[in-house]
Amino acid sequence: MKPVLRKILAGSALLATAGTVAAEGIAPKDVADMLHAVMDSDRTIYTKMVVQRLQNEHKVIKASEFFKDEKALPLPAQMFRFGAEMVADKTDLFSYSLLSLWPINKQNSPRTEMEKEGMQYVLDNPGENFYGEEELGGTTYFTAVYPDIAVAEACVACHNAHKDSPKTDFKLGDTVGSVVIRIPVE
Amino acid sequence: MAGTRNTALWIVWLALTLAAGGSFGALIFVGGPRNFLLIGKTTGAHHQFELACETCHTSGFFEDAAKIDKAMNKACLACHEDELKVSNDSHPVKKFRDPRNADRRQQLDALFCTTCHMEHVPEITRPVAVTLPMDYCSACHKAVGEERPSHAGLAFNTCAAAGCHNFHDNTALYEDFLAKNVDMADIIERPIVRLAAISRAPHPVLAARENHDPVAALRAYLMDTRRDAPEFETDAVEMLARVLEAGDAVAPAEFLTRDTVAAWAGSGHALGGVNCAGCHTLEHAKERDTAILAANWIAEPGIEICRSCHKEEARTFVLGRHGMRLHPEISEPRQAPKNALLKIVAAVFRDEALWPISVADARLEMKPEAAHLEIGNCNTCHKPHDADIRAAAVDACAGCHNDPHTRTYFSSPHYQLWQTELAGGAPGSGVSCADCHMPKLEARGHFFTTHNQNAYLRPNEKMIRPVCMHCHGLAFAMDALADPALVENNFNGRPSRHVESIDWAVKRARKTE
Repeated sequence: MKPVLRKILAGSALLATAGTVAAEGIAPKDVADMLHAVMDSDRTIYTKMVVQRLQNEHKVIKASEFFKDEKALPLPAQMFRFGAEMVADKTDLFSYSLLSLWPINKQNSPRTEMEKEGMQYVLDNPGENFYGEEELGGTTYFTAVYPDIAVAEACVACHNAHKDSPKTDFKLGDTVGSVVIRIPVE
Repeated sequence: MAGTRNTALWIVWLALTLAAGGSFGALIFVGGPRNFLLIGKTTGAHHQFELACETCHTSGFFEDAAKIDKAMNKACLACHEDELKVSNDSHPVKKFRDPRNADRRQQLDALFCTTCHMEHVPEITRPVAVTLPMDYCSACHKAVGEERPSHAGLAFNTCAAAGCHNFHDNTALYEDFLAKNVDMADIIERPIVRLAAISRAPHPVLAARENHDPVAALRAYLMDTRRDAPEFETDAVEMLARVLEAGDAVAPAEFLTRDTVAAWAGSGHALGGVNCAGCHTLEHAKERDTAILAANWIAEPGIEICRSCHKEEARTFVLGRHGMRLHPEISEPRQAPKNALLKIVAAVFRDEALWPISVADARLEMKPEAAHLEIGNCNTCHKPHDADIRAAAVDACAGCHNDPHTRTYFSSPHYQLWQTELAGGAPGSGVSCADCHMPKLEARGHFFTTHNQNAYLRPNEKMIRPVCMHCHGLAFAMDALADPALVENNFNGRPSRHVESIDWAVKRARKTE
């Protein structure tokens, strides 16, 4: 049985014993959607209420890729990646990455076939996500790909101006990249 | 007769075999010298504790291989984790955990320190203790030539060898930093190392006491040098109240020699209110009864006493080569068996505790006359009674070290500047051994002298920001450090080579402006 499902089922069983919920577990797709809802909301809040507000509106502090040297705010994408790295330190029950078909850092290009397929799919089908299974390093993963949308002017301005950005005509609301969530399954 | 003789020989053979086997087993499992187990010469730093095997080999004998790897990694990080944090590690382990990099991990399993830094394999150990072939970057960055035309056709072994990149520490080498600092002059105007200047200026309390308003003078000094927003006025008053003079020295009479007291009275210790007992007893710092002091007197206070005030210095000392044998993670001698019979049998098989490293133990070129010196105490290099703290910055180093870099220091421009400062020049304008190898670092509004001389040594680009750039331009510093002959002759001359990465960074930055 899938490790996450096993745990979720166990949790559900406990709750069922207490008479609160009777469930048969949560599907990996729902788990991925739940995780993505948290990631997406947190980053949108950081982007709009911290970076966009303090940098673009009040102009009190800059956000910079080199935030330590420049005593600035980390970019929303960096904040997201640091979170993903910290999660990787804490658990191997799931992992996530922020990728793009127009990555500033080329290491964030799609690498696996499923990433390539999924990222193209969410670009071609606005409003839809992509789900599938893939095997990496001998482990099978449930992989979910979500479009990553430019939610604030700060996103667009930075991606269009960065010297390493392969695309410089992003507009607010465009799909700039993808969030890829992986859950190991048996 | 022959039968008896054979029986006797068999008994002797059996006894000798049992004794040899027992001794062998005892050496492995109980205690005693284990040199014969060293499967290869250890690297330049680890040789100091190579017989304290359990420092790195923390797993049990029959542990699972995966667990052994994890445990050894943990042992590496017990000493090296801080360095990775300071270096803002470009390739932290967490980057490799992502399943999308599973194929890359098959080529370069960067989850483990030992993938790149194996021990006991001198035949394949390269500079910075790297034991991989030099094409390791290509596991992930093979296509860099397509993204960066400037990199097309570069030899696979030049990434880290040409002064452009490091695997861990790129704090002075990343593209934007290069482009931003390209216009710095080779030597900046009026080079002064700010923290060294503060450290070597006349003691602020002494200077304030000569002012007509000592509190105001000291308050102004504190406001200028401290950044942690303390209570300047209160601090200034308290600091002035703490000052001790020669007549205040309290110690058993036999220790109150005129020279010692006179030296102490001008030192930072006296000016900071530290009386004799503050260092020469453990728990009687304020005691004035000389009989009690005599009963508890410590003739030569060790690092454990200095540590009570000089915390950061002591912490970093045990991380560097001079003090690593005192590091708390170095394994203790193996315990004697608890069983009384085994205890007697094993009495001869005991580990010796590690003694402080002596100059004779060093693998570097050292002065033979210093061979007997041991470096377990701060006062091997420092003279705690003296007001002049500068002896530890050059004389102490050159008292032992005798390699070409040390020898040529005394004919270098850096030494000339040091001489000028000693002759009354501006504090912080001279360049001592310690200024480069034990730089002063800021931490939480204060600064301290790191005593981990290894932290900013190799790869030498680590020195660029905390050391070189106080006085030199980035490009000049990169070029100088990339010139091994210039490093060896202690920078007597100009760099004979140029690290091109800074030009490439500027070219790309200007193209996109």
